[in-house]
Formats: sequence, structure tokens, C-alpha cells
Amino acid sequence: MGLFDAIGIAGTGLTAERMRMDVTAENLANADTTKAANGQPYQRQEVELAQMGASDFGGALSSAIQQGRGAPPGGVEVTGIVSDSTPDQQVYDPGNPEADAQGYVKMPNISTVTEMTDLISESQSYQSDVTAMQTAKSMFTSTLGLLK
Amino acid sequence: MALVDSTQQLLQAAMRGSWQRETALTNNIANADTPGYEPQEVNFESALQSAVASGEPESVSQAQFQTVTEPIEAGPNGTAVSIDQESAKLAENGLDYQALTQVLGARDDILRSAMGAAA
Repeated sequence: MGLFDAIGIAGTGLTAERMRMDVTAENLANADTTKAANGQPYQRQEVELAQMGASDFGGALSSAIQQGRGAPPGGVEVTGIVSDSTPDQQVYDPGNPEADAQGYVKMPNISTVTEMTDLISESQSYQSDVTAMQTAKSMFTSTLGLLK
Repeated sequence: MALVDSTQQLLQAAMRGSWQRETALTNNIANADTPGYEPQEVNFESALQSAVASGEPESVSQAQFQTVTEPIEAGPNGTAVSIDQESAKLAENGLDYQALTQVLGARDDILRSAMGAAA
């Protein structure tokens, strides 16, 4: 158990939340994109999070060894960015050049409200990680104060 | 009375425990949005209490604290971490730690003034 573990763990949280915010921003930017790289409407992307050191055998082993020494495995990691498989929205807009014979346009499966609420929760989690990091820092400073 | 007495050892062990709790709580906050994550907690006070009750000085200075997972039902977002509770615990633990370092510092000052008076 190192003194800087807590700061490192909060750092992994910051990285993960930043990644989630990036992906949410991408979703918002592409909320009306009817042609993504594959020619289909853009599909909502989602970040997969996992506890660090718990996903594979090596990680599980090292965290088990660490736990024997009284130290917890630390942090969070982004294990992947996956597409949301919710079907596309069908919007009736016969004037749109993308409209099919019935006048429907396939729009991305993105709800702006969902993305905005996700963004709020992500920025709050980010803020909490910053607070955790500051607490660790002030604890460390008070230990250094003992040397005076 | 030895220079490093049992109170000193107890304070040091409590600081160790408090730091370990800080690491666990930070981990909980970092994993606040990780599905299936179970929050961790370090109950170092009870471990220290039983170490003190055993009456052996070594059991206090060498006390090991377990980081345990709390089996709490997951909320609607798939995680069991309540970010406000964890933040509150984090603030409390930080203050506890500062109290410990201040007591340690005050004891240090007493020793120093005693040594200064003897010179």
C-alpha cells in the first residue's frame, strides 16, 4: 500500500469519466447524422467500465496477492466502447433526400435528453474524483507537516 | 515510559488504517459508474480495538486491516456505490486523519520541549 495509491486511483477515475464525456459529446454531435462510416445512421456509442485488475486472470491474481498484503486493487478502466443496439428512430420527413419510398428517414438512436443527463452525471462523478484526490493530497500534506 | 509508548503506536496504527480507508473510498468513487462493483470498506477501528484489548504492544503496531467488500443491493444504474455517502465518508476520514496527525504533532512538541529543557 503506497501513499500515492489514492491519488493514482482517483486519476484512473478522472480518465474514465473524461472518456465517457468524450463519447457523450460524440453522441450529441452525431444526433442527426444519417450517414455514418458504414452508410447507415450513426449508432449511439457507450463506454464499458470495469474495476481495474479484476478483468483478466493476471489482474485477478495480482489483486489477490495484493489483498493478502492488505492492499485493495485500485481504480477503474475503460474496457471498450460499444454500440448501443437500440433500433434507429423512424422520422416522417418526405422532403429529406434520405427519405425512403414511404417518406420515412432513419435517424440515429440518440435521445438528446438522455445524453444531457448522462453528461451531468459524468461531470459530477468527475468532480467527486477531484474531491477524492484533493482529500488524499491534504492528508499527505498533513503527514509532511509532522516533519516540521 | 519509553519514547515510543503505546499511545504513539496506537496513533501510528490508526493513521495507517485511515490511509487504507482513504484508498478504499477513493476506489469506490472511481468505480461509481462501474456495473457490478461492490463498495469497499476498511473497518480499522474494530481491528485496533481488539488489538488494544489483547494487551500486547506488538499486536497494535503490527495490526493488519482487511479491506472488505460491502454486499449492498445495486441501484437502478447497476452500481451499488452511493456517491454522496462515499463523499461524506471521505470527508470524515480526511478530518480524522488530520486530527490524528495533529495529536501526533502535539505529542512531538511536548517531547521536544522536554528535551530542550534538559539541555
